Amino acid sequence: MMHRSEVAVSVELQTPDMTINIGPQHPSTHGVLRLIANLDGERIRDVEPVIGYMHRGYEKLSEVRTYAQITALVNRIDWVSGFANEVPFILGVEKLLGIEVPERAQWIRLILSELARISSHLVFMSSYPLELGATTPLMHTLREREYVLELIESVTGGRFHPNFTRVGGVKPNYGGGSQTKKQSMDLPAGFFKQTLETMDRVDQICDDLDTLVTGNEVIMMRTQGVGVIPADKALEYGLTGPNLRASGVDYDLRRDDPYLTYDQIDFNVVTRDTGDCYARYVVRQDEIRESANIIRQAIDMIPAGPLMAKVPRVLKAPPGQVYTRAENPKGEFGYYLVSEGGKMPYRLKIRSTSFSNLTILPWILPGQLVPDLVAILGSLDFVLGDVDR
Amino acid sequence: MTDQPTTAEADESTELSALEQYASDLTDRLGATGYDVEFDTVRVFVELDKWVETIVAAREDLELFSWLSAIDWSKTTEVGEGVADPDSLVERFEVLCRLSSVREHNADAAIFVAVLDRSEPSIASLTEFIGGAAWHEREAHEMFGIDFVGNDNLIPLYLPDAFVGNPLLKSYPLIAREVKPWPGDVDVEPMPEPDQEPAADGGAS
Repeated sequence: MMHRSEVAVSVELQTPDMTINIGPQHPSTHGVLRLIANLDGERIRDVEPVIGYMHRGYEKLSEVRTYAQITALVNRIDWVSGFANEVPFILGVEKLLGIEVPERAQWIRLILSELARISSHLVFMSSYPLELGATTPLMHTLREREYVLELIESVTGGRFHPNFTRVGGVKPNYGGGSQTKKQSMDLPAGFFKQTLETMDRVDQICDDLDTLVTGNEVIMMRTQGVGVIPADKALEYGLTGPNLRASGVDYDLRRDDPYLTYDQIDFNVVTRDTGDCYARYVVRQDEIRESANIIRQAIDMIPAGPLMAKVPRVLKAPPGQVYTRAENPKGEFGYYLVSEGGKMPYRLKIRSTSFSNLTILPWILPGQLVPDLVAILGSLDFVLGDVDR
Repeated sequence: MTDQPTTAEADESTELSALEQYASDLTDRLGATGYDVEFDTVRVFVELDKWVETIVAAREDLELFSWLSAIDWSKTTEVGEGVADPDSLVERFEVLCRLSSVREHNADAAIFVAVLDRSEPSIASLTEFIGGAAWHEREAHEMFGIDFVGNDNLIPLYLPDAFVGNPLLKSYPLIAREVKPWPGDVDVEPMPEPDQEPAADGGAS
């Protein structure tokens, strides 16, 4: 005999389909993303993302700029982690030109990349709970991010758009370093001490977030089991970075295809197996701690030395094609550079992370509840400048 | 194929580097027409009518679909510097698709290249097997005018609906440059020699 609780009552509720428009201006879209969603009651039947509101045509603009000028453009692709965008581009140009970069410059690039990662993840840590309805973490986390941005600003002069790497090295502000003439163009005095203090603060805010957000029952109910992306789908749609690692794929370019001096550093690649919004959140939180550890190691290991290699005044890259990539806060960021021997690239393909991460939207959103749409969108951590390029 | 640009021939007399060996093995396994390794970047040339089956076969161990895009190889250009040697260039489109391996913690990756006729560029769509290719193909369609047969949603991705033209073609002018030329050449100021005193800001200390 069937137990009472197992008797299913089937009542088909007839609900007319409805098309709703979300965005382009909407708090949960991180910029100007528009979604045209067909709803069947509370469920999304299908969704058509509309992008391009911020398309600036960087690939075309790069064809009329010299290699040195393009770094100013690539800063502005993903402005939440501006410095990290410069790294793969400059590595590509240096590979074309065959320039050996001084070791100290490579370590400085590494430290700033990790600072960019922390600041990008802290933006996620503050905005994601806000989208789920928790306002307190925003204040705490953005305050800590300001300390990180101050570090970046003290070295590069810019909080968001450092434009700090040069072909052949890095170029701190004149007078930023200690007062002796020889070192006047080095890191500012007290930078390492200040960085170590800030890293302690960063660890502290991660602990605070544990009690505020990570273990919060409401957050867990809103995110656990929601928006599950299996590993094979993540790979098919080109997801990288924390979004891919949250689906159980142990893939991090810093370890698997080392660039800069990451091969000398001991760090863990954070993964989770569940592939849901909660996993994507937790992976980022743990990555902040890992980045803080990487920076501490780097400060221990950074050698003294010059910051710039000897570079010709006019950069003419030999003909060839090169693809360089880096593990940016949001995932694999790459540039495909085609040189025909001139001062400007013949073609520059920008493989921006958020663009690829968003291509999964038409697959992941159908069948989800409307309130979960915000949770899923936020968990993918995209920046529209990075989508539209 | 005769319009293949630079296909490295496996030369028995010279030792292949590890990367070249990898590219050579991959080319043999997939039945591709050739390969090219420069600046640590592996390119594998694929016949146009075997595009989809080659990519699908390659994804067995290169699981991650990274990106898809195109290059317009044109003798004349409205923007930038153009090709080094226009006389010997075979005008064509190249469609590129990059896959990389994620499972073995190695850096295996390859860019697959198909050569398209410039007058009527058309290639089979990957969307049936790789959902993530849909947006990349839409972008290549609007930027280069390449038709992806089988992708039934080739509506503009970035550009407004009423936009005319394919902006990433070399024949497409950059209007901003027409109005006001960029002084890209003249702003390369001579740097002071390393042994010289920095002239402008040297007096600060």
